Amino acid sequence: MKNLIRILVFLTAFQVNEALGQTLYGTSTGEVKIYSDTPLETIEALNQKVGCLVNPATMDLAVQMKITDFVFPNKLMQEHFNENYMESEKYPTANFKGKIKEQIDFKVPGTYPVTAVGSMTIHGVTKPFTVKGNLVSSGNSLKIDFKFLVKPEEYKVEIPSLVITKIAEEIEVTGNISLQERKTN
Amino acid sequence: MRIQKNQFSLFLTGCFLLVGSVLFIPKANAQDDLLSMLEEEQSKDPIYTLATFKATRLINGQTIETISKNHLNFWISHRFGAVNSGFLANFFGLDEARIRLGLEYGLTDKWLIGAGRSSQEKTYDLYTKYKLLRQSDRFPITLTGMAGWGINTMESGYVMESGSVMKFSNNLERYTYWGQAFIGRKFNEKLSLQLVPTLVHYNKVEDPSISNDQWALGIGGRYKLTKRFTLSGEYYYAVTDPIAYEVSTRNPYPYHNSFSIGVDIETGGHVFQLHFTNSRGMIEKQFVGQTVGSWENADIFYGFNISRTFSFEKGAKNKDK
Repeated sequence: MKNLIRILVFLTAFQVNEALGQTLYGTSTGEVKIYSDTPLETIEALNQKVGCLVNPATMDLAVQMKITDFVFPNKLMQEHFNENYMESEKYPTANFKGKIKEQIDFKVPGTYPVTAVGSMTIHGVTKPFTVKGNLVSSGNSLKIDFKFLVKPEEYKVEIPSLVITKIAEEIEVTGNISLQERKTN
Repeated sequence: MRIQKNQFSLFLTGCFLLVGSVLFIPKANAQDDLLSMLEEEQSKDPIYTLATFKATRLINGQTIETISKNHLNFWISHRFGAVNSGFLANFFGLDEARIRLGLEYGLTDKWLIGAGRSSQEKTYDLYTKYKLLRQSDRFPITLTGMAGWGINTMESGYVMESGSVMKFSNNLERYTYWGQAFIGRKFNEKLSLQLVPTLVHYNKVEDPSISNDQWALGIGGRYKLTKRFTLSGEYYYAVTDPIAYEVSTRNPYPYHNSFSIGVDIETGGHVFQLHFTNSRGMIEKQFVGQTVGSWENADIFYGFNISRTFSFEKGAKNKDK
């Protein structure tokens, strides 16, 4: 048993080192906007502290953000979003991890349509997810844009009947992430 | 020893390769590594605790909460007559009410100013509240300070609820000041508690045996039953000297500690607070030091506070959800 634990620890350490030894593209100031529109109400919130890392060698991609970093113009709404809907103390982050399907050499500047296949975790619920977007490379920096719809219901985000007409069934999520080349190690 | 270690790591590497090639762990782990690196980067910022209490007021007293910048709260508070005042005579107290109307505005996310007018002793009040420290995943409590001022605009020589006659010889005597520190902690999603050391200074008291400086300690808390329904309770222990009063006036000391219990119901932009309390006054000078009712005598007042929040922040087209 002890050995097994050691192996697992070692394994993890080895993996981290492998990732650290490579060139990555990363940021901690990506932008993700959520938007809900119904005849009764338009709700918008912006998160400007989205973290993202892309490993150009493996085309692996990870995006993570804190739920509490979403800023609403109405702070009461923000409080409800965190307290009643997203339960951000229990589930502080949302993330996506996956792989970009296309093989792209980021060193070649250009605009590429990309598809990331992986899994998304929101409100503690993880589901397989595919995101389509655009990637603009300028050699040492990347820009990723994407837009998708997400149903709160699918991630067990409960919306009480009292406000059901004010919150859209599908929330539009728009991302705008600029990544810089990072040489770790 | 060193050779053994090397052998061990060789063995481990072997195991790793074996396990890895069979289970495709490297592929899955590479993404997890990116995520854990992100996690590490993001964990540098503290996560602040949100919504320790539903509103800036618990029942009669205030809470550690302030309101957000450019947000306005409108408070409508009622305390009806005593529930033991009879059915025919007073419809269990609902025939009469003390009212306080109040406004508070967030200058910053941590600093608010407020004003109100109570029909109880026709009193105007002004106050300011500032959040000094915030609870987060690295700090255990929230600390908020408050300072307030009130002016009693009753005619000189009116009879107070305690039965004493109050005469003012100048306007300064109508003033009362109060300061409070709120030390609060959200223990978990449901339970929040706060301690409230309080000092109320009355420029004029009804009898020399009553100190102008009224010290008190408040304790308050809430327990969330559901997402929108919360139980709350509040007790203010006032440091008084009843014997001195009795010796001086030959009357029993008229004031009691304030105790209130209630529920909060939240519906988007409104918070409804319904409660039972032995205090009819809704500002600190009244409920901390001048609560005439007592639970033992069933001098219980039914009351409610309604808060409505408006946002004046740019981009806030709608006021609630």
